[in-house]
Amino acid sequence: MSMSIPGTASTAQGLSRTGQAPVTVLRFAQRIWRFSRPLMFPAAIVLVWSAASAYGWVSPKILPSPVTIAETFWDMLAGGDISANLGISLIRVAKGFVVGGSLGLALGVAMGFSRTVEIWIGPLFRTVSQVPSLVWIPLLMQLFGIDEMLKLVIMVKACLIPIAITSSEGIRNIPGQYLEVAQVLALSRRSRIVNIILPGALPSIFNGLRQGLSHVWVSLVIVEMMVSAEGIGYLMSWGRLIFQLDVVIVCMILVGVIGFSLDFGLQRLEARCLRWRGTGAS
Amino acid sequence: MSLSVPASWTARVSAYSNVMAGWLSATPDSASGSSPRAALRPPSEPTATSGRGALQLRRVNKRYEVDGKSLDVLQGIDLVVEPGEFICLVGASGCGKSTILRLIVGLDSDHDGEILLDDRPIGPPGLERGIVFQEHRLMPWLTVEQNIALSLEATGRSAAERARLVREHVDLVGLTGFERAFPRQLSGGMAQRVAIARGLVSQPKILLLDEPLGALDSLTRLYLQQELLRIWSRERITMVMVTHDVEEAAFLSDRIVVLSPRPGRVRRIIPVDLPHPRDRGDPRFIAIRQAALGELSR
Repeated sequence: MSMSIPGTASTAQGLSRTGQAPVTVLRFAQRIWRFSRPLMFPAAIVLVWSAASAYGWVSPKILPSPVTIAETFWDMLAGGDISANLGISLIRVAKGFVVGGSLGLALGVAMGFSRTVEIWIGPLFRTVSQVPSLVWIPLLMQLFGIDEMLKLVIMVKACLIPIAITSSEGIRNIPGQYLEVAQVLALSRRSRIVNIILPGALPSIFNGLRQGLSHVWVSLVIVEMMVSAEGIGYLMSWGRLIFQLDVVIVCMILVGVIGFSLDFGLQRLEARCLRWRGTGAS
Repeated sequence: MSLSVPASWTARVSAYSNVMAGWLSATPDSASGSSPRAALRPPSEPTATSGRGALQLRRVNKRYEVDGKSLDVLQGIDLVVEPGEFICLVGASGCGKSTILRLIVGLDSDHDGEILLDDRPIGPPGLERGIVFQEHRLMPWLTVEQNIALSLEATGRSAAERARLVREHVDLVGLTGFERAFPRQLSGGMAQRVAIARGLVSQPKILLLDEPLGALDSLTRLYLQQELLRIWSRERITMVMVTHDVEEAAFLSDRIVVLSPRPGRVRRIIPVDLPHPRDRGDPRFIAIRQAALGELSR
Protein backbone atom coordinates (compact mmCIF):
# COMPACT_ATOMS: atom_id res chain seq x y z
CA MET A 1 0.00 0.00 0.00
CA SER A 2 2.60 2.53 1.10
CA MET A 3 4.85 1.11 -1.62
CA SER A 4 2.66 2.60 -4.30
CA ILE A 5 3.42 6.17 -3.30
CA PRO A 6 7.02 6.14 -2.15
CA GLY A 7 7.83 8.60 0.58
CA THR A 8 4.27 9.51 1.40
CA ALA A 9 4.63 8.70 5.05
CA SER A 10 7.77 10.74 5.52
CA THR A 11 6.30 13.68 3.63
CA ALA A 12 3.24 13.60 5.79
CA GLN A 13 5.40 13.61 8.90
CA GLY A 14 7.48 16.48 7.64
CA LEU A 15 4.42 18.54 6.90
CA SER A 16 2.72 17.81 10.16
CA ARG A 17 5.30 19.94 11.92
CA THR A 18 4.41 23.00 9.90
CA GLY A 19 0.63 22.67 9.95
CA GLN A 20 -2.39 20.43 9.90
CA ALA A 21 -3.99 21.42 6.60
CA PRO A 22 -1.43 19.82 4.24
CA VAL A 23 -1.64 16.57 6.20
CA THR A 24 -5.40 16.48 5.76
CA VAL A 25 -4.99 17.10 2.05
CA LEU A 26 -2.48 14.28 1.84
CA ARG A 27 -4.74 11.94 3.74
CA PHE A 28 -7.53 12.85 1.37
CA ALA A 29 -5.27 12.13 -1.61
CA GLN A 30 -4.32 8.80 -0.10
CA ARG A 31 -7.97 7.95 0.35
CA ILE A 32 -8.75 8.77 -3.25
CA TRP A 33 -5.80 6.69 -4.34
CA ARG A 34 -6.98 3.74 -2.28
CA PHE A 35 -10.47 3.88 -3.77
CA SER A 36 -9.30 4.46 -7.31
CA ARG A 37 -6.90 1.52 -7.47
CA PRO A 38 -9.58 -1.04 -8.34
CA LEU A 39 -10.72 1.26 -11.15
CA MET A 40 -7.31 1.47 -12.83
CA PHE A 41 -7.59 -1.78 -14.71
CA PRO A 42 -11.09 -1.14 -16.10
CA ALA A 43 -9.94 2.35 -17.07
CA ALA A 44 -7.02 0.88 -19.00
CA ILE A 45 -9.36 -1.46 -20.85
CA VAL A 46 -11.65 1.42 -21.78
CA LEU A 47 -8.63 3.33 -22.98
CA VAL A 48 -7.47 0.53 -25.28
CA TRP A 49 -11.05 0.03 -26.41
CA SER A 50 -11.36 3.74 -27.26
CA ALA A 51 -8.13 3.61 -29.20
CA ALA A 52 -9.32 0.53 -31.06
CA SER A 53 -12.51 2.32 -32.07
CA ALA A 54 -10.83 5.64 -32.87
CA TYR A 55 -8.19 4.08 -35.13
CA GLY A 56 -10.69 1.69 -36.71
CA TRP A 57 -8.98 -1.49 -35.52
CA VAL A 58 -12.42 -3.06 -35.05
CA SER A 59 -15.63 -2.28 -36.88
CA PRO A 60 -18.16 -0.34 -34.79
CA LYS A 61 -20.73 -2.96 -35.81
CA ILE A 62 -18.77 -5.61 -33.97
CA LEU A 63 -17.67 -3.48 -31.05
CA PRO A 64 -19.25 -0.04 -30.57
CA SER A 65 -16.97 2.62 -29.14
CA PRO A 66 -17.10 3.55 -25.45
CA VAL A 67 -18.49 6.91 -26.47
CA THR A 68 -21.42 5.22 -28.22
CA ILE A 69 -21.97 3.07 -25.16
CA ALA A 70 -22.01 6.11 -22.91
CA GLU A 71 -24.45 7.88 -25.23
CA THR A 72 -26.71 4.83 -25.37
CA PHE A 73 -26.55 4.59 -21.60
CA TRP A 74 -27.57 8.21 -21.30
CA ASP A 75 -30.42 7.78 -23.78
CA MET A 76 -31.70 4.68 -22.04
CA LEU A 77 -31.48 6.41 -18.68
CA ALA A 78 -33.24 9.54 -19.88
CA GLY A 79 -35.84 7.51 -21.77
CA GLY A 80 -36.67 5.54 -18.64
CA ASP A 81 -35.78 2.17 -20.15
CA ILE A 82 -33.21 1.45 -17.51
CA SER A 83 -35.17 2.60 -14.49
CA ALA A 84 -38.33 0.78 -15.55
CA ASN A 85 -36.66 -2.53 -16.34
CA LEU A 86 -34.13 -2.38 -13.57
CA GLY A 87 -36.85 -1.59 -11.07
CA ILE A 88 -38.77 -4.66 -12.13
CA SER A 89 -35.68 -6.86 -11.95
CA LEU A 90 -34.69 -5.58 -8.52
CA ILE A 91 -38.16 -6.16 -7.12
CA ARG A 92 -38.02 -9.71 -8.46
CA VAL A 93 -34.61 -10.23 -6.89
CA ALA A 94 -35.88 -8.94 -3.57
CA LYS A 95 -38.83 -11.33 -3.64
CA GLY A 96 -36.73 -14.28 -4.74
CA PHE A 97 -34.04 -13.63 -2.16
CA VAL A 98 -36.46 -13.12 0.70
CA VAL A 99 -38.48 -16.25 -0.09
CA GLY A 100 -35.55 -18.45 -1.07
CA GLY A 101 -33.33 -17.13 1.69
CA SER A 102 -35.84 -17.77 4.45
CA LEU A 103 -36.70 -21.22 3.12
CA GLY A 104 -33.00 -21.98 2.74
CA LEU A 105 -32.20 -20.84 6.27
CA ALA A 106 -35.07 -22.85 7.70
CA LEU A 107 -33.98 -25.96 5.83
CA GLY A 108 -30.34 -25.38 6.68
CA VAL A 109 -31.15 -25.08 10.38
CA ALA A 110 -33.24 -28.27 10.18
CA MET A 111 -30.46 -30.11 8.36
CA GLY A 112 -27.85 -28.74 10.74
CA PHE A 113 -29.61 -29.76 13.92
CA SER A 114 -31.22 -32.99 12.81
CA ARG A 115 -29.19 -35.81 11.45
CA THR A 116 -32.39 -37.44 10.18
CA VAL A 117 -33.30 -34.48 7.98
CA GLU A 118 -29.73 -34.40 6.70
CA ILE A 119 -29.75 -38.12 5.91
CA TRP A 120 -33.09 -37.93 4.11
CA ILE A 121 -32.62 -34.86 1.98
CA GLY A 122 -28.94 -33.85 2.22
CA PRO A 123 -27.67 -35.95 -0.71
CA LEU A 124 -30.63 -34.95 -2.88
CA PHE A 125 -29.81 -31.33 -2.18
CA ARG A 126 -26.19 -31.71 -3.07
CA THR A 127 -27.15 -33.42 -6.33
CA VAL A 128 -29.72 -30.82 -7.32
CA SER A 129 -27.22 -28.08 -6.56
CA GLN A 130 -25.01 -29.47 -9.36
CA VAL A 131 -27.74 -28.89 -11.97
CA PRO A 132 -27.52 -25.30 -13.26
CA SER A 133 -30.65 -23.21 -12.81
CA LEU A 134 -30.71 -22.61 -16.57
CA VAL A 135 -31.31 -26.30 -17.20
CA TRP A 136 -34.44 -26.20 -15.08
CA ILE A 137 -36.13 -23.54 -17.19
CA PRO A 138 -37.70 -25.77 -19.90
CA LEU A 139 -39.16 -28.15 -17.34
CA LEU A 140 -40.37 -25.44 -15.01
CA MET A 141 -41.96 -23.58 -17.92
CA GLN A 142 -44.20 -26.58 -18.43
CA LEU A 143 -45.19 -26.52 -14.79
CA PHE A 144 -45.45 -22.84 -13.98
CA GLY A 145 -45.93 -21.12 -17.33
CA ILE A 146 -43.84 -18.09 -18.18
CA ASP A 147 -45.11 -15.60 -15.65
CA GLU A 148 -43.76 -14.27 -12.38
CA MET A 149 -44.19 -17.65 -10.74
CA LEU A 150 -41.57 -19.20 -13.02
CA LYS A 151 -39.06 -16.50 -12.16
CA LEU A 152 -39.77 -16.82 -8.47
CA VAL A 153 -39.36 -20.58 -8.52
CA ILE A 154 -36.07 -20.39 -10.40
CA MET A 155 -34.70 -17.74 -8.07
CA VAL A 156 -35.85 -19.57 -4.98
CA LYS A 157 -34.18 -22.72 -6.26
CA ALA A 158 -31.04 -20.77 -7.09
CA CYS A 159 -30.50 -19.45 -3.57
CA LEU A 160 -32.25 -21.95 -1.36
CA ILE A 161 -29.72 -24.68 -1.98
CA PRO A 162 -26.43 -22.87 -1.34
CA ILE A 163 -27.91 -21.18 1.72
CA ALA A 164 -29.32 -24.42 3.13
CA ILE A 165 -26.08 -26.32 2.55
CA THR A 166 -23.67 -23.74 3.94
CA SER A 167 -25.79 -22.90 6.96
CA SER A 168 -26.32 -26.56 7.84
CA GLU A 169 -22.59 -27.15 7.56
CA GLY A 170 -21.91 -24.09 9.69
CA ILE A 171 -24.16 -25.46 12.39
CA ARG A 172 -22.76 -28.96 12.22
CA ASN A 173 -19.14 -27.82 12.21
CA ILE A 174 -19.23 -25.97 15.52
CA PRO A 175 -16.08 -27.24 17.25
CA GLY A 176 -16.83 -29.97 19.80
CA GLN A 177 -14.69 -28.07 22.28
CA TYR A 178 -17.22 -25.24 22.37
CA LEU A 179 -20.07 -27.68 22.85
CA GLU A 180 -18.17 -29.20 25.77
CA VAL A 181 -17.99 -25.75 27.32
CA ALA A 182 -21.76 -25.47 26.91
CA GLN A 183 -22.11 -28.82 28.65
CA VAL A 184 -19.78 -27.91 31.51
CA LEU A 185 -21.58 -24.59 32.03
CA ALA A 186 -24.90 -26.51 32.12
CA LEU A 187 -26.35 -24.22 29.46
CA SER A 188 -29.96 -24.74 28.52
CA ARG A 189 -30.72 -25.82 24.96
CA ARG A 190 -31.93 -22.34 24.14
CA SER A 191 -28.85 -20.67 25.57
CA ARG A 192 -26.59 -23.11 23.76
CA ILE A 193 -28.23 -22.29 20.45
CA VAL A 194 -28.31 -18.52 21.01
CA ASN A 195 -24.85 -18.13 22.52
CA ILE A 196 -22.82 -20.80 20.80
CA ILE A 197 -24.31 -22.51 17.78
CA LEU A 198 -25.88 -19.63 15.88
CA PRO A 199 -23.05 -17.13 16.35
CA GLY A 200 -20.58 -19.87 15.51
CA ALA A 201 -22.47 -20.70 12.32
CA LEU A 202 -22.94 -17.07 11.31
CA PRO A 203 -19.81 -16.83 9.12
CA SER A 204 -21.02 -19.85 7.12
CA ILE A 205 -24.53 -18.48 6.97
CA PHE A 206 -23.26 -15.20 5.56
CA ASN A 207 -21.17 -17.10 3.08
CA GLY A 208 -24.32 -18.91 1.94
CA LEU A 209 -26.37 -15.72 1.80
CA ARG A 210 -23.79 -14.02 -0.40
CA GLN A 211 -23.57 -17.02 -2.70
CA GLY A 212 -27.36 -17.25 -2.76
CA LEU A 213 -27.90 -13.59 -3.61
CA SER A 214 -25.43 -13.77 -6.45
CA HIS A 215 -27.10 -16.93 -7.79
CA VAL A 216 -30.50 -15.23 -7.60
CA TRP A 217 -29.25 -12.28 -9.63
CA VAL A 218 -27.54 -14.37 -12.29
CA SER A 219 -30.43 -16.79 -12.70
CA LEU A 220 -32.95 -13.97 -12.89
CA VAL A 221 -31.05 -12.29 -15.71
CA ILE A 222 -31.01 -15.60 -17.58
CA VAL A 223 -34.72 -16.27 -17.11
CA GLU A 224 -35.50 -12.75 -18.16
CA MET A 225 -33.45 -13.21 -21.30
CA MET A 226 -35.28 -16.39 -22.17
CA VAL A 227 -38.83 -15.79 -21.05
CA SER A 228 -39.84 -12.29 -20.13
CA ALA A 229 -41.26 -9.11 -21.54
CA GLU A 230 -39.60 -6.81 -19.04
CA GLY A 231 -36.57 -6.59 -16.81
CA ILE A 232 -32.88 -6.02 -17.41
CA GLY A 233 -32.39 -9.45 -18.98
CA TYR A 234 -35.23 -8.82 -21.37
CA LEU A 235 -33.68 -5.48 -22.31
CA MET A 236 -30.48 -7.29 -23.12
CA SER A 237 -32.08 -9.94 -25.32
CA TRP A 238 -34.12 -7.24 -27.03
CA GLY A 239 -30.94 -5.34 -27.81
CA ARG A 240 -29.43 -8.47 -29.29
CA LEU A 241 -32.56 -9.09 -31.36
CA ILE A 242 -32.40 -5.67 -33.03
CA PHE A 243 -28.60 -5.90 -33.39
CA GLN A 244 -27.98 -3.07 -31.03
CA LEU A 245 -24.81 -4.27 -29.42
CA ASP A 246 -24.44 -0.99 -27.51
CA VAL A 247 -27.67 -1.79 -25.63
CA VAL A 248 -26.39 -5.26 -24.85
CA ILE A 249 -23.10 -3.91 -23.52
CA VAL A 250 -24.83 -1.28 -21.40
CA CYS A 251 -26.97 -4.04 -19.91
CA MET A 252 -23.96 -6.27 -19.31
CA ILE A 253 -22.18 -3.53 -17.45
CA LEU A 254 -25.30 -2.82 -15.42
CA VAL A 255 -25.73 -6.48 -14.53
CA GLY A 256 -22.14 -6.67 -13.36
CA VAL A 257 -22.22 -3.45 -11.38
CA ILE A 258 -25.51 -4.29 -9.70
CA GLY A 259 -24.41 -7.82 -8.86
CA PHE A 260 -21.26 -6.35 -7.36
CA SER A 261 -23.23 -3.79 -5.35
CA LEU A 262 -25.63 -6.37 -3.99
CA ASP A 263 -22.73 -8.50 -2.83
CA PHE A 264 -20.91 -5.48 -1.47
CA GLY A 265 -23.95 -4.57 0.61
CA LEU A 266 -24.09 -8.03 2.14
CA GLN A 267 -20.35 -7.96 2.69
CA ARG A 268 -20.65 -4.75 4.67
CA LEU A 269 -23.47 -6.23 6.72
CA GLU A 270 -21.32 -9.30 7.32
CA ALA A 271 -18.36 -7.24 8.47
CA ARG A 272 -20.64 -5.40 10.86
CA CYS A 273 -22.21 -8.56 12.29
CA LEU A 274 -18.89 -10.38 12.57
CA ARG A 275 -16.85 -7.64 14.16
CA TRP A 276 -15.35 -10.23 16.50
CA ARG A 277 -13.41 -11.69 13.59
CA GLY A 278 -11.41 -8.51 13.19
CA THR A 279 -10.56 -6.49 10.13
CA GLY A 280 -8.57 -9.13 8.32
CA ALA A 281 -11.52 -11.42 7.75
CA SER A 282 -13.84 -9.25 5.68
CA MET B 1 -39.50 -15.83 38.51
CA SER B 2 -38.09 -12.84 40.33
CA LEU B 3 -41.60 -11.36 40.47
CA SER B 4 -42.77 -14.02 42.87
CA VAL B 5 -40.02 -13.28 45.38
CA PRO B 6 -41.22 -11.06 48.25
CA ALA B 7 -39.49 -7.72 48.59
CA SER B 8 -38.22 -8.49 52.10
CA TRP B 9 -36.39 -11.48 50.68
CA THR B 10 -34.59 -9.52 48.05
CA ALA B 11 -33.53 -7.02 50.71
CA ARG B 12 -32.24 -9.81 52.89
CA VAL B 13 -30.31 -11.40 50.03
CA SER B 14 -28.68 -8.13 49.06
CA ALA B 15 -27.83 -7.42 52.70
CA TYR B 16 -26.19 -10.81 52.88
CA SER B 17 -24.23 -10.26 49.70
CA ASN B 18 -23.04 -6.91 51.03
CA VAL B 19 -21.77 -8.61 54.15
CA MET B 20 -20.09 -11.23 52.00
CA ALA B 21 -18.49 -8.58 49.82
CA GLY B 22 -17.24 -6.74 52.88
CA TRP B 23 -15.85 -9.92 54.33
CA LEU B 24 -14.14 -10.79 51.08
CA SER B 25 -12.48 -7.44 50.65
CA ALA B 26 -11.37 -7.55 54.27
CA THR B 27 -9.39 -10.74 53.76
CA PRO B 28 -5.72 -9.97 54.25
CA ASP B 29 -4.82 -12.00 51.17
CA SER B 30 -6.80 -9.92 48.76
CA ALA B 31 -4.32 -7.09 48.52
CA SER B 32 -1.00 -8.80 47.95
CA GLY B 33 -0.30 -11.73 45.74
CA SER B 34 2.26 -13.31 47.99
CA SER B 35 1.01 -13.98 51.47
CA PRO B 36 2.14 -17.12 53.30
CA ARG B 37 -1.33 -18.58 53.07
CA ALA B 38 -0.48 -22.22 53.61
CA ALA B 39 1.24 -21.27 56.85
CA LEU B 40 -1.96 -19.60 57.99
CA ARG B 41 -4.24 -22.44 57.02
CA PRO B 42 -2.88 -25.93 56.50
CA PRO B 43 -5.23 -27.89 54.26
CA SER B 44 -6.14 -30.54 56.78
CA GLU B 45 -7.31 -28.08 59.41
CA PRO B 46 -11.06 -27.48 59.45
CA THR B 47 -11.93 -24.03 58.18
CA ALA B 48 -14.89 -21.88 57.31
CA THR B 49 -15.05 -23.63 53.98
CA SER B 50 -14.88 -27.19 55.29
CA GLY B 51 -17.65 -29.31 53.84
CA ARG B 52 -17.30 -27.38 50.61
CA GLY B 53 -15.44 -29.17 47.90
CA ALA B 54 -14.39 -32.44 49.52
CA LEU B 55 -13.61 -34.77 46.65
CA GLN B 56 -13.27 -38.52 46.85
CA LEU B 57 -12.39 -40.98 44.16
CA ARG B 58 -12.91 -44.62 45.18
CA ARG B 59 -11.55 -47.44 43.05
CA VAL B 60 -12.18 -45.54 39.84
CA ASN B 61 -11.55 -47.56 36.70
CA LYS B 62 -11.91 -46.28 33.18
CA ARG B 63 -11.80 -48.32 30.02
CA TYR B 64 -11.95 -47.32 26.38
CA GLU B 65 -12.99 -49.57 23.55
CA VAL B 66 -10.54 -49.19 20.69
CA ASP B 67 -11.10 -51.36 17.59
CA GLY B 68 -13.10 -53.87 19.63
CA LYS B 69 -10.28 -54.21 22.16
CA SER B 70 -10.73 -52.76 25.60
CA LEU B 71 -7.97 -50.51 26.83
CA ASP B 72 -7.49 -49.73 30.52
CA VAL B 73 -6.94 -46.02 30.96
CA LEU B 74 -7.36 -45.71 34.71
CA GLN B 75 -7.11 -48.49 37.22
CA GLY B 76 -8.09 -48.33 40.87
CA ILE B 77 -7.71 -44.61 41.37
CA ASP B 78 -8.16 -43.80 45.07
CA LEU B 79 -7.87 -40.19 46.04
CA VAL B 80 -9.23 -38.03 48.84
CA VAL B 81 -8.99 -34.28 48.37
CA GLU B 82 -9.69 -32.06 51.35
CA PRO B 83 -11.86 -28.98 51.00
CA GLY B 84 -9.76 -26.03 49.94
CA GLU B 85 -6.82 -28.21 49.03
CA PHE B 86 -4.67 -27.62 45.96
CA ILE B 87 -3.76 -30.95 44.32
CA CYS B 88 -1.59 -31.43 41.27
CA LEU B 89 -1.76 -34.56 39.16
CA VAL B 90 1.47 -35.23 37.31
CA GLY B 91 2.39 -38.06 35.01
CA ALA B 92 3.67 -38.93 31.59
CA SER B 93 1.41 -38.13 28.67
CA GLY B 94 -1.17 -40.83 28.16
CA CYS B 95 -1.44 -41.72 31.82
CA GLY B 96 -5.04 -40.57 31.99
CA LYS B 97 -4.52 -37.35 33.96
CA SER B 98 -6.98 -35.43 31.82
CA THR B 99 -9.38 -38.36 31.86
CA ILE B 100 -9.62 -38.05 35.63
CA LEU B 101 -10.65 -34.41 35.29
CA ARG B 102 -13.15 -35.25 32.54
CA LEU B 103 -14.70 -37.87 34.82
CA ILE B 104 -14.91 -35.47 37.75
CA VAL B 105 -16.45 -32.68 35.70
CA GLY B 106 -18.92 -35.10 34.14
CA LEU B 107 -17.93 -34.85 30.48
CA ASP B 108 -17.28 -38.56 30.58
CA SER B 109 -19.68 -40.53 32.77
CA ASP B 110 -18.85 -44.08 31.83
CA HIS B 111 -16.62 -45.44 34.59
CA ASP B 112 -16.44 -47.91 37.47
CA GLY B 113 -16.03 -46.89 41.08
CA GLU B 114 -17.31 -43.86 42.89
CA ILE B 115 -16.64 -40.15 42.54
CA LEU B 116 -18.05 -38.16 45.45
CA LEU B 117 -18.21 -34.43 45.93
CA ASP B 118 -19.10 -33.54 49.51
CA ASP B 119 -20.13 -37.18 50.03
CA ARG B 120 -22.60 -37.16 47.16
CA PRO B 121 -22.02 -38.96 43.86
CA ILE B 122 -21.34 -36.52 41.05
CA GLY B 123 -24.00 -36.21 38.38
CA PRO B 124 -23.96 -34.70 34.91
CA PRO B 125 -21.89 -31.51 34.49
CA GLY B 126 -22.99 -28.78 36.84
CA LEU B 127 -21.86 -25.39 38.07
CA GLU B 128 -20.57 -26.73 41.38
CA ARG B 129 -17.64 -28.05 39.36
CA GLY B 130 -15.68 -25.61 37.21
CA ILE B 131 -13.02 -26.48 34.66
CA VAL B 132 -10.30 -24.62 32.79
CA PHE B 133 -8.96 -26.35 29.70
CA GLN B 134 -5.51 -26.14 28.20
CA GLU B 135 -6.90 -24.10 25.31
CA HIS B 136 -8.85 -21.16 26.67
CA ARG B 137 -12.02 -22.18 24.78
CA LEU B 138 -13.48 -18.71 24.93
CA MET B 139 -16.21 -18.03 22.40
CA PRO B 140 -14.55 -15.75 19.85
CA TRP B 141 -17.84 -13.93 19.23
CA LEU B 142 -18.36 -12.98 22.86
CA THR B 143 -16.52 -10.23 24.70
CA VAL B 144 -14.53 -10.91 27.86
CA GLU B 145 -17.46 -10.07 30.10
CA GLN B 146 -19.94 -11.99 27.97
CA ASN B 147 -17.70 -15.04 28.05
CA ILE B 148 -17.51 -14.88 31.82
CA ALA B 149 -21.24 -14.22 32.13
CA LEU B 150 -21.94 -17.37 30.11
CA SER B 151 -21.11 -19.27 33.30
CA LEU B 152 -24.02 -17.59 35.06
CA GLU B 153 -26.62 -18.35 32.37
CA ALA B 154 -27.79 -21.49 34.13
CA THR B 155 -28.01 -19.83 37.55
CA GLY B 156 -31.18 -18.11 38.65
CA ARG B 157 -29.38 -14.90 39.47
CA SER B 158 -30.72 -11.47 38.59
CA ALA B 159 -29.08 -9.40 35.87
CA ALA B 160 -27.67 -6.98 38.42
CA GLU B 161 -26.23 -9.81 40.47
CA ARG B 162 -24.63 -11.32 37.39
CA ALA B 163 -23.13 -8.02 36.35
CA ARG B 164 -21.67 -7.59 39.84
CA LEU B 165 -20.18 -11.08 39.87
CA VAL B 166 -18.70 -10.65 36.41
CA ARG B 167 -17.18 -7.33 37.42
CA GLU B 168 -15.70 -8.84 40.57
CA HIS B 169 -14.16 -11.72 38.68
CA VAL B 170 -12.79 -9.56 35.87
CA ASP B 171 -11.14 -7.67 38.68
CA LEU B 172 -9.99 -10.85 40.41
CA VAL B 173 -8.02 -11.98 37.37
CA GLY B 174 -6.69 -8.46 36.80
CA LEU B 175 -8.41 -7.70 33.50
CA THR B 176 -10.32 -4.56 34.44
CA GLY B 177 -10.48 -2.39 31.35
CA PHE B 178 -10.67 -5.35 28.99
CA GLU B 179 -14.33 -6.19 29.63
CA ARG B 180 -15.38 -5.31 26.11
CA ALA B 181 -12.42 -6.88 24.32
CA PHE B 182 -12.88 -9.88 22.06
CA PRO B 183 -10.69 -12.97 22.63
CA ARG B 184 -8.65 -12.32 19.46
CA GLN B 185 -7.51 -9.07 21.02
CA LEU B 186 -6.05 -10.83 24.07
CA SER B 187 -2.69 -12.48 24.58
CA GLY B 188 -2.61 -16.18 25.43
CA GLY B 189 -2.08 -15.45 29.11
CA MET B 190 -4.91 -12.94 29.25
CA ALA B 191 -7.27 -15.33 27.49
CA GLN B 192 -6.41 -18.03 30.00
CA ARG B 193 -7.12 -15.61 32.83
CA VAL B 194 -10.56 -14.99 31.34
CA ALA B 195 -11.07 -18.75 31.23
CA ILE B 196 -10.12 -18.94 34.91
CA ALA B 197 -12.61 -16.17 35.70
CA ARG B 198 -15.27 -18.06 33.75
CA GLY B 199 -14.48 -21.16 35.78
CA LEU B 200 -14.76 -19.27 39.07
CA VAL B 201 -17.62 -16.85 38.54
CA SER B 202 -20.31 -19.44 39.21
CA GLN B 203 -18.63 -20.00 42.59
CA PRO B 204 -17.99 -23.72 42.21
CA LYS B 205 -16.96 -25.96 45.07
CA ILE B 206 -14.06 -27.27 43.08
CA LEU B 207 -12.07 -25.93 40.15
CA LEU B 208 -10.41 -28.42 37.80
CA LEU B 209 -7.48 -27.18 35.75
CA ASP B 210 -6.35 -29.24 32.78
CA GLU B 211 -2.82 -28.03 32.03
CA PRO B 212 -4.08 -24.45 31.97
CA LEU B 213 -0.60 -22.98 31.65
CA GLY B 214 0.75 -25.63 29.31
CA ALA B 215 0.44 -23.60 26.13
CA LEU B 216 1.93 -20.37 27.51
CA ASP B 217 5.45 -19.02 27.26
CA SER B 218 7.60 -19.55 30.34
CA LEU B 219 7.48 -15.97 31.64
CA THR B 220 3.70 -15.77 31.43
CA ARG B 221 3.61 -19.18 32.97
CA LEU B 222 5.61 -18.14 36.03
CA TYR B 223 3.46 -15.06 36.42
CA LEU B 224 0.21 -16.98 36.15
CA GLN B 225 1.43 -19.55 38.69
CA GLN B 226 1.59 -16.74 41.22
CA GLU B 227 -1.75 -15.44 40.05
CA LEU B 228 -3.29 -18.88 40.54
CA LEU B 229 -1.95 -19.01 44.08
CA ARG B 230 -3.33 -15.58 44.82
CA ILE B 231 -6.74 -16.51 43.42
CA TRP B 232 -6.76 -19.82 45.24
CA SER B 233 -5.94 -18.24 48.57
CA ARG B 234 -8.68 -15.69 48.03
CA GLU B 235 -11.40 -17.99 46.78
CA ARG B 236 -10.57 -20.81 49.22
CA ILE B 237 -11.92 -23.51 46.95
CA THR B 238 -10.60 -26.94 46.14
CA MET B 239 -8.39 -27.04 43.07
CA VAL B 240 -7.24 -30.09 41.15
CA MET B 241 -4.74 -29.31 38.45
CA VAL B 242 -3.20 -31.53 35.83
CA THR B 243 0.30 -30.57 34.77
CA HIS B 244 3.34 -32.23 33.30
CA ASP B 245 5.62 -29.70 34.94
CA VAL B 246 6.87 -31.08 38.25
CA GLU B 247 8.27 -27.76 39.37
CA GLU B 248 4.91 -26.11 38.77
CA ALA B 249 3.28 -28.82 40.86
CA ALA B 250 5.78 -28.32 43.68
CA PHE B 251 5.34 -24.57 43.53
CA LEU B 252 1.55 -24.62 43.66
CA SER B 253 0.14 -27.66 45.33
CA ASP B 254 -0.40 -29.01 48.82
CA ARG B 255 0.14 -32.52 47.52
CA ILE B 256 1.55 -33.88 44.29
CA VAL B 257 -0.15 -37.01 42.97
CA VAL B 258 2.23 -38.91 40.70
CA LEU B 259 0.47 -41.18 38.22
CA SER B 260 1.99 -44.11 36.37
CA PRO B 261 1.06 -44.65 32.74
CA ARG B 262 -0.98 -47.37 30.98
CA PRO B 263 -3.08 -48.04 32.87
CA GLY B 264 -3.07 -44.87 34.97
CA ARG B 265 -2.56 -45.64 38.67
CA VAL B 266 -1.64 -43.52 41.63
CA ARG B 267 2.04 -44.29 42.08
CA ARG B 268 2.79 -42.00 44.98
CA ILE B 269 1.40 -38.95 46.74
CA ILE B 270 4.03 -36.42 47.78
CA PRO B 271 3.00 -33.81 50.36
CA VAL B 272 4.51 -30.36 49.92
CA ASP B 273 4.73 -28.95 53.42
CA LEU B 274 6.28 -25.62 52.52
CA PRO B 275 4.78 -22.21 53.22
CA HIS B 276 3.87 -19.89 50.36
CA PRO B 277 5.48 -18.13 48.61
CA ARG B 278 7.82 -21.00 47.91
CA ASP B 279 11.43 -20.43 47.04
CA ARG B 280 12.37 -22.52 44.05
CA GLY B 281 15.97 -22.52 45.26
CA ASP B 282 15.10 -23.82 48.74
CA PRO B 283 16.78 -27.24 49.27
CA ARG B 284 13.49 -28.66 50.60
CA PHE B 285 11.70 -27.46 47.46
CA ILE B 286 14.37 -29.03 45.28
CA ALA B 287 14.16 -32.27 47.26
CA ILE B 288 10.41 -32.48 46.69
CA ARG B 289 10.81 -31.68 43.00
CA GLN B 290 13.49 -34.34 42.66
CA ALA B 291 11.36 -36.88 44.51
CA ALA B 292 8.48 -36.30 42.10
CA LEU B 293 10.81 -36.43 39.11
CA GLY B 294 12.31 -39.65 40.44
CA GLU B 295 8.87 -41.23 40.70
CA LEU B 296 8.04 -40.13 37.16
CA SER B 297 11.14 -41.60 35.59
CA ARG B 298 11.01 -44.83 37.55
